Amino acid sequence: MGIFDHWHPVLLSRELGARPEAVRLHGKEIVVFRAGATVGALVDRCPHRGMRLSLGKVKEEALECPYHGWSFRPNGEGRCPATPEMSAHAACFDAVEKDGAVWVKSKAGSPAFPVTDFDDFQAVGTLHHVIPVPLELVLDNFIEVEHTGTTHAFLGYEKTRMSEVTIDVTLTDETVRVVNRGPQRTLPRALAAAFRIQSGDTFTDDWTTHFSPIYSVYDQYWTDPKTHEVRDARIRVAVFFTPATDTETHLFTFAYATQPKWLRFGLQYAMKPLVLGLIDHEVRLDKRMLERLADTRPELVGNRLGRFDRPLVEARKRIASIYRAASTLKHAT
Amino acid sequence: MTSDATALVIGAGPAGLAVAACLKKHGVSVIQIDRATQVGSRWHGHYERLHLHTVRHLSNLPGYAMPSDWPRYVPRARFAEYLGRYAEHHGLAPRLGVTATSAKRSDGRWRVETTEGTLGAKHLVVATGYNHTPRRPDLPGRGVFTGEVLHSSEYKNGRPFKGRRVLVVGAGNSGAEIALDLWEHGATSSMSIRGPLHVTPRDMFGVPAQETAQLMARLPPRVADAITLAILARVVGDLSKWGIVRPKLGPISQVVAHGKIPLIDVGTIELIKQGKIVVHPGIATLTEKGVDFVDGRHADFDAILLATGYEAKLDSLFADASNFTNERGYPRDHATETGPGGLWFVGYRNPLTGALHDMAREGERVGRAIASS
Repeated sequence: MGIFDHWHPVLLSRELGARPEAVRLHGKEIVVFRAGATVGALVDRCPHRGMRLSLGKVKEEALECPYHGWSFRPNGEGRCPATPEMSAHAACFDAVEKDGAVWVKSKAGSPAFPVTDFDDFQAVGTLHHVIPVPLELVLDNFIEVEHTGTTHAFLGYEKTRMSEVTIDVTLTDETVRVVNRGPQRTLPRALAAAFRIQSGDTFTDDWTTHFSPIYSVYDQYWTDPKTHEVRDARIRVAVFFTPATDTETHLFTFAYATQPKWLRFGLQYAMKPLVLGLIDHEVRLDKRMLERLADTRPELVGNRLGRFDRPLVEARKRIASIYRAASTLKHAT
Repeated sequence: MTSDATALVIGAGPAGLAVAACLKKHGVSVIQIDRATQVGSRWHGHYERLHLHTVRHLSNLPGYAMPSDWPRYVPRARFAEYLGRYAEHHGLAPRLGVTATSAKRSDGRWRVETTEGTLGAKHLVVATGYNHTPRRPDLPGRGVFTGEVLHSSEYKNGRPFKGRRVLVVGAGNSGAEIALDLWEHGATSSMSIRGPLHVTPRDMFGVPAQETAQLMARLPPRVADAITLAILARVVGDLSKWGIVRPKLGPISQVVAHGKIPLIDVGTIELIKQGKIVVHPGIATLTEKGVDFVDGRHADFDAILLATGYEAKLDSLFADASNFTNERGYPRDHATETGPGGLWFVGYRNPLTGALHDMAREGERVGRAIASS
């Protein structure tokens, strides 16, 4: 398995209209387009004379090159209008539209599709963020909570009480699971009321990171510190980390939340933008912090690590053994 | 083993448990047996991805509901757990691992031979289930095919099929969901669909299909068909291009006339439309390495998965089963006294409003009827 052999989200469904879109996956330039009910993903370079296919148009379920009008179907099959008997073929990827995103993988290999169990939850929405920082460093930020007190506005723990936050790491060959528990930071009253969070509640952030592709699924909920009763509002978020290049990472967020009993009569429609807006805001804060890093080497060598950094080390092992294991496609530069 | 109970219930799945609980509530003495070693055994064994296709609050059995914080569509494992809790809550103690081998009526009483001796009762409630025995159609060329052939009852998840070409035969809910599960696990997944088929998404605009169906069930079938078809045309569209043809009869009429519910889609159709799951027509014959289809095409497969459903197999219990079963082997009468008397069948229907919902109502009806007889 190499990097291209995992199903990566490269675009949200709503970002792909009738026009083709240029995306990148680990430096490879790819054009994604709709052809009827299917989506196609081709190497963004016409096999004829090297034009960017993403500048073309879709006609009759095939992508037409703007240069000489050669056209290609999602499976790469091409036609040359000037020489109809000639066969042409564009290098292509497997593409599928599922769960509100367009996913791409190499033709080789048969990886499992990353299915997340969202049974208890209602879909809140999807987000796409671009962070100009290498994959490893972005992932690092998303698998420790020590930064939440300083970087974040709402979600997470109070900076001054970070020492009280517990961390519990569970490892398998394929996954890294981290459970953090500690006192929820003080929230604006209206927000606390919307989520039914009481002052002094324990905030649990329980997440598992997977490596084919790289994504983390977060379960976030609040409990009464004495009775351990779980508050109504719970959030489940899956964040996928797609490396566009060695220095740019795309984040695809699939947000879900429970529908508390008091949120009936259409009120959940008000809750959805609130939850999505909150997550969007927090990710932007992460991005702002990450953009300011002095050292953007993906390695941890030479860094002085704390107790919250163990998942980072474990994640790197699995990135090497699962995610980056022997690539079947040559790394395009 | 002797018995002096008023009612004997065969089966401790959801239908059997519902009846036993209702009989007990009315003070009727009950003996309940099941061939398996746990209650709701089918639910313990079904494939992992399975969820109820009906919503939680319309899937409860009488007198004890599933916890309200369980999801809208309850996962298989939790439903199995619920059945265990249900039996416990009502103090039901079915005799497990006891198989009924024959049932006869004499002198106004039922005599049931079991693997643990004879049982007698005034009333015999048969709740051996819709999913009693896997139906394995005799595929032509079965002996020639060198790949694996298995029934959906033996399927747990798609992991063992990663990278393999699998043909799912049958377009019921389980066939469609298993085809999806196979694709998600990295198999090349295809389906063989023999005849026309109605398809409905599990939820439309956030409303479960089952709730829409309950509403439609109150309208005249023709009106309900017209409304449903108009909605489905928009939401699902024409699938004939991908090998799924809509029947002439409307979706509601089809349930009323043939007891055939539409395919409740949980994501398979989206992949069929994208060509990820290929739909083939019926099978003409199996070959050494694959299948010849009735349209004259051939495709190679490593495995064939029969999602061809189950049989009630009532003839394994009654020598004269044909007296009270229909051509498909299901009882003709439901939740009402039938056959030579003192005989009741529960849980053999799959109506628009949901099988579990129906079992719960049938259980209550039979409980009341036997109590007042």
